Amino acid sequence: MIRITIGTATLALACSLAIGANAQLVTIKQLSLPIAATIGTTALQTCKAQGYNVSVHVIGNMGEVLVALRGDNTGPHTMENSMRKALTSRGTRLPSGQFAENVSKTPNAGALRLGNMIPARGALPIKAGNDVIGAVGVSGAPGGDKDEVCAQAGIDKVADQLK
Amino acid sequence: MSKIHRLAGVSLATALACGVAASANAQLLQHKDLSSAIATTIALTAVDTCKEQGYNVSVHVVGRNGEVLVGLRHHAAGPNTFENSWKKAYTSRTFRIPSGKFAENVGQNPVAGQLFLANITAARGALPIMIGEETIGAVGVSGAPGGDKDEVCAQAGIDKVKDQLR
Repeated sequence: MIRITIGTATLALACSLAIGANAQLVTIKQLSLPIAATIGTTALQTCKAQGYNVSVHVIGNMGEVLVALRGDNTGPHTMENSMRKALTSRGTRLPSGQFAENVSKTPNAGALRLGNMIPARGALPIKAGNDVIGAVGVSGAPGGDKDEVCAQAGIDKVADQLK
Repeated sequence: MSKIHRLAGVSLATALACGVAASANAQLLQHKDLSSAIATTIALTAVDTCKEQGYNVSVHVVGRNGEVLVGLRHHAAGPNTFENSWKKAYTSRTFRIPSGKFAENVGQNPVAGQLFLANITAARGALPIMIGEETIGAVGVSGAPGGDKDEVCAQAGIDKVKDQLR
């Protein structure tokens, strides 16, 4: 009986230690403003060099806007659209074009009813290793594929710093 | 008879002149607007200036219609700063004065009508961006310990591009 009690106490102690170890703070990597600004301006300039005026959003881990850029002579919707593409990409951890493909056969997909989700190509997740830590969205080029090229150029520019 | 003809001629000439004047008034407006490149320089300069002074801030640059041209959130700035810098900029653009001046103007009148307009804030830290006497946008800063310190960074942003504001 005593032995059982001691055994239980030991087990309880072991469990509480295990919980204590799990309760340490979470350490994550976060995009800095300089890196996010470089991604955003590079995406905008890449599209401009190709003759496309675009707006760009770079968002962080919690979907917060880090950088918003409205290009010259862009359509008024491009700011909202680039933000929503970026949020979609961060939320799904996928290129927003991949999300669009995934839901194209399920128009009632719940994900389409979430705030700010949009099935439109032109945003890519920003990763540190395998972890998605943000996203960059582009809108304004004649085709989401062309927007996406500029988003990729932005990420490529800081590839060395995303680790 | 000839007098009547002459009168008719005068009327016709007047009508023609007025018509020409009316169409002259109906031509399209032309104005200068901030480019994306200039707006970005203003915003990045404002962030960097505050950073050098030890303050982490968010910055917004808005254009002629109050539309956001650039928004920047410093990674260590408080979560409220992004919204606040935008509202300050919008306020400054709307009233064509520093947002701190607006705050002063309404300081004695907590029920001033302007305070009930959407996105207007009585907080210092934004300055109008001008070409001569014409306001073409505004830059707003939030995050420094005091609107006066925010405003210094906003001014630095405008100063950086002053040669291009003409």
